[in-house]
Amino acid sequence: MELLKVENLSKKYERFELKNVSFSLESGFIMGFIGRNGAGKTTTLKSMLNLVHADSGRITIAGKDFKSDEFDCKKNVGFVLGGVDYYPKNKLKAITDVTKRFYEEWNEEEYQRCLKRFELDPEKRVDELSAGMRVKYSLALALSHNAQLLILDEPTSGLDPVSRDDLLELFQELIEDGEHSILFSTHITSDLEKCADYITYIKNGEILASTEKDTFLNTYRLVNGKAEQLTPLLAKKLIGCREHKFGFEGLIKAEDIALAEGTEIAPADLEAIMVHLERK
Amino acid sequence: MFNLLYKEFKLAAHPTVFIFLAFAFMMLIPSYPYYVAFIYTCLSIFFVFMSGRENKDVFYTVSLPIKKSDAVKARCTMIAIIELVQMIVSVPFAILGASINPNADGNQAGIEANVAFFGLVFIMFALFNVIFIPGFYKTGYKIGAPFVAAGTAVLLYIVAAESLVWIPTPLKSFLDTTAPDIMVKQLPILAVGMILWVVSVIASYKTGAARFEKVDL
Repeated sequence: MELLKVENLSKKYERFELKNVSFSLESGFIMGFIGRNGAGKTTTLKSMLNLVHADSGRITIAGKDFKSDEFDCKKNVGFVLGGVDYYPKNKLKAITDVTKRFYEEWNEEEYQRCLKRFELDPEKRVDELSAGMRVKYSLALALSHNAQLLILDEPTSGLDPVSRDDLLELFQELIEDGEHSILFSTHITSDLEKCADYITYIKNGEILASTEKDTFLNTYRLVNGKAEQLTPLLAKKLIGCREHKFGFEGLIKAEDIALAEGTEIAPADLEAIMVHLERK
Repeated sequence: MFNLLYKEFKLAAHPTVFIFLAFAFMMLIPSYPYYVAFIYTCLSIFFVFMSGRENKDVFYTVSLPIKKSDAVKARCTMIAIIELVQMIVSVPFAILGASINPNADGNQAGIEANVAFFGLVFIMFALFNVIFIPGFYKTGYKIGAPFVAAGTAVLLYIVAAESLVWIPTPLKSFLDTTAPDIMVKQLPILAVGMILWVVSVIASYKTGAARFEKVDL
């Protein structure tokens, strides 16, 4: 089932513009929303939830139009901007006590299970939690009100490698039932290599690609060659080409690979793709 | 709506909201500018917004399955409750104050805490509400400027209202007294005050909600 559909989301600021952002996500998958700082990831996520007013565009969550069914849609979504950073001096149990009242389908058993599983102590204050634990607490809240779609804005930034791995593993567990989906933004490419099924790449407010991870990776190849191998035709097709003393290196679309014959061609990983795409 | 109000009092209410209620005892001070007690109420409302910003209350609230306008409605209702409770709590102290400090010449510092005074305080709250609340919801985070504007208006209003009893005119003997027969005649002032106050709460909500709807968070 199509859990999330974003169509032609646009928003114009004085110095930045979100241009016709479109992508969709089926249930049971993890989508990584990737782009460098300032590319428009957070603006997109906020516009999707009407926190920022898009100039145009349409958001559908589980078949319901967000604008006309904001209530139902929000119940179906667990939205986390970073970790929980509101009411830092309040105990988790106080925040939960207030939050759960807003959801008819709040599942207390599930909440207790989450607390145990994530080793969260309800007597602790928010600011006593580590960054990873804060994300887990927000996941506990989202899962307990049975949110199908989890939207997380940079949940892994600021986490140490172990916590990050732990969290990504948790993401994968969550979608195993085929009913949940996760959309999370990040600029840490290794997160996506570990757990994303789909990649949506945003650059300067425009979606460059939104596709399966492997398809995305297969679109590009890394090319390394000697200076004399850099023909004008090849130079034109190279993305983020850098020339150095011994030759050049750059990214090329798989379809143009014939132009790079004789050079050293290697598969590109996400980091290489991102670095080359963003290189000026 | 009830859930949002529960949130306001459980998470958003600053401790001074409850502590300053005790300032109703000021009604017992002989010859005192009694408006002071109610200025503290405005201050506690300001603190609610300030601690709200500190605690990212707006982000928490809008992430809940609610309408943005309901967040404003809940906050306005909370403010109305705080102001009304402060009034109600102050009444017995005002009655007690009048009986233990009978001032034959009226209050030397301002108006007596009588029926007219409570009407004038309602007008003061109304003034505070219509300036401060929509002022805040213009941005959803700026509290300083709206508070300075509302505070200045309130102070000017108090100076004007107290002038009515400082200047020796027939109005002074009508306003500055706790004589029961005259206080009955002051009831229209209370009624006008209450009406203006109710209008202020509704208008603050309407304007605040319309402005907040447009804010990009």
